[in-house]
Amino acid sequence: MSATLEHPTKTAAAPRGAAPVKESRELIRSQVRAGWILLSPALLHSGIFIVIPVLAVLVLSLTDYSFGDSWSWVGLGNYADLFRDVDFQASLVNTVLYAVVVIPISMAIALAVAVGLNQKIKGLGFFRTAFYIPTVTATVAIATIWLWIYNPGSGLANGFLSLFGFAPNRWLADPATALPSLMVVGIWQGLGTKIIIYLAALQGVSRDLLESADLDGASRWQKFVNVTLPALSPVQFFVLITSIVGTFQVFDLVYVMTRGGPGTETRVLVLDIYQNAFQDLKLGYASAETVIMMIVIALFIGAGRLLQKADVND
Amino acid sequence: MRRGARSGLVVLAAMLGLTASSCGNGVIDKSTDGVPPAEATGTLRVLLPSFPPSTKGREEFDKVVADFQKTYPKMKVEPDFATYNNLNEKMSTSIAAGIPYDVMVTGVGWIQPFASKRIFADLAAYGVTPEVIKEKSVAALIEPATYDGKLYGYPLVADARAVALRKSAFREAGLDPDKPPTSLAEIKVAAEKLTERDEGGSITRSGFDLASATGFRQSFTTFLASTGTPLYVNGGPNFSNQKGLETLEWIKSMINNVQPYGQQNAAQQPLVLTGEAAMGIVGGAVDCSDKGIGQKNCDDLKFFRFDSGQEIEYVGGDLASIGSRSRHKDAAWAFIQSLTVPTTLDAIAKLNKKLPAYKDAGNSPQAKSNPLSKFVADGLVYAVNENSPPTNWLEMRGNFDIQLTQAVLGQKDPAKVLANLAGQSR
Repeated sequence: MSATLEHPTKTAAAPRGAAPVKESRELIRSQVRAGWILLSPALLHSGIFIVIPVLAVLVLSLTDYSFGDSWSWVGLGNYADLFRDVDFQASLVNTVLYAVVVIPISMAIALAVAVGLNQKIKGLGFFRTAFYIPTVTATVAIATIWLWIYNPGSGLANGFLSLFGFAPNRWLADPATALPSLMVVGIWQGLGTKIIIYLAALQGVSRDLLESADLDGASRWQKFVNVTLPALSPVQFFVLITSIVGTFQVFDLVYVMTRGGPGTETRVLVLDIYQNAFQDLKLGYASAETVIMMIVIALFIGAGRLLQKADVND
Repeated sequence: MRRGARSGLVVLAAMLGLTASSCGNGVIDKSTDGVPPAEATGTLRVLLPSFPPSTKGREEFDKVVADFQKTYPKMKVEPDFATYNNLNEKMSTSIAAGIPYDVMVTGVGWIQPFASKRIFADLAAYGVTPEVIKEKSVAALIEPATYDGKLYGYPLVADARAVALRKSAFREAGLDPDKPPTSLAEIKVAAEKLTERDEGGSITRSGFDLASATGFRQSFTTFLASTGTPLYVNGGPNFSNQKGLETLEWIKSMINNVQPYGQQNAAQQPLVLTGEAAMGIVGGAVDCSDKGIGQKNCDDLKFFRFDSGQEIEYVGGDLASIGSRSRHKDAAWAFIQSLTVPTTLDAIAKLNKKLPAYKDAGNSPQAKSNPLSKFVADGLVYAVNENSPPTNWLEMRGNFDIQLTQAVLGQKDPAKVLANLAGQSR
């Protein structure tokens, strides 16, 4: 904004003297005021719903508040307790594992599907709608359907595997398969949004560059790797960031399907925070956990930015 | 533009004012305590898992409201039909939002944590003490409703559990249904004989249903108590010992041996009632009519109690409390009085397959309506539960469910799990 506003000051001031300069400054001031006024609803919203809650969480994380009449300052005690808390450790590991598996796989599948949907094929509208349906469907409904799919006795998954002679699996009840089973649902559910974003970006890839590559005799794969992928770079970063935030906030899927079990095999950070805050009534402790989660998300986003920069420099 | 800027600032100020005013406590009523009931106005907020969200449940609740409004005609009643799964979050969010409930119905294990946080009010203000309630209620629910010698919950219904066996399954396995196994060792031997598997080795009928699909806390408490060892004594842990270890090892030896881990049916009914298990833990009532499991099925059932040295029956229940921050405490007490009319307790018991928590529950309509209710009513003298849980019991409930599961599934050493849980109990 400053670059565009400074420009008329310099050009207008030189030939006409003091009065036009004053008018110009007044114009800039009124534009700045208008800018702030237009910005104020968003600032007010952010202040009330983001800044104040974040500050409240930071303050609460230093207390032992538990909805009762009394509370006291505990300093960094909650943070020290968290690093000794095996449920928190399991939740952190599960969440990171969930993110590390779900994000790259879902991004890769979404890109592949988007490339497919970007071709001139029959029934394009149907396929685009079909892939987007999981995104607009309530997670609780999705989780309920997948609960049936994973049902050890009468579920579709075991029914399908039995066609190939495989023994029935206890999917969500088996510690070894519970988290991977949730990851499959997470990947499937998150595809729609990513596909739509990739599809929009693919349609913006320069036709000139693609035609130049054709003239140079590039193969389809070479065009994809050397033209399409670099053009998608900013979108890749956007999808990565939103995916990191989304996967770290996974809750409803786990709450409905496993409640974090068996044991702590599918316990994730938000579920642990919810459990501590609203089931165990340890709001101070849960706030400290929320702060840690924000830091971890920030670290992941930072790592994503570094990867993006490295990619651009390459 | 200047005029526009001023207008904008005015709009902004108006928005701020609106926001500030909406943050006020306009939704909080004026206190009605001390006001004559006929003149009291306001809304009584009640949180209760005692009325299922069915037409019949709503009808019974409306009767309670009608009775209450005979005394408080101008007061409204705003019900929140919670479940035990979301009870805590309802209570905590209402407190955080500054609009706490006036009447809260909770269960065994809730009173101590909430009374210690001064969220529940001492009922002595209304003449109800542990000594007074002893003459009116089921004895098993008095200790769970008491904290620091004061009564914080008025018992509504008792949720008693027994064990049932299938006579036909026993006979098929060469066992005598008239001599049910009662000790943990006997039950294991019988359950292994009763378990049926397919050619692949998968269990097709469980030998014993531990009723632990969502966690082993209650079953561990029950099995441990049957050895004469209560879970807590005077608020202190009493399970990190030889008896506790033997009990946990026993559960571990049963899971995936006589019952698959996490087994439950779609209706979440006891598996022995549907024939999916030959023996197992059951609730406090069975519907023998054609709408329920049918008379033929009922006749195939025999009920008994655990006894590994002490005959016991696990008894939970619903307890009604007054919120300490309520502005309608007198009205809340009047509502609890309407809630505890014997006919209302009978209705709640029937709706929830439980027993009314009044003194003579054995002669209640519910106890006379089916053989299981009669059996558990007669067994109230053997009642056990967590006994005297610590003030962080709400936290421990989850810890028990998670860590006992880890021990049962072989992920953690049972002895270390029990020691850890004992250390976490405060």
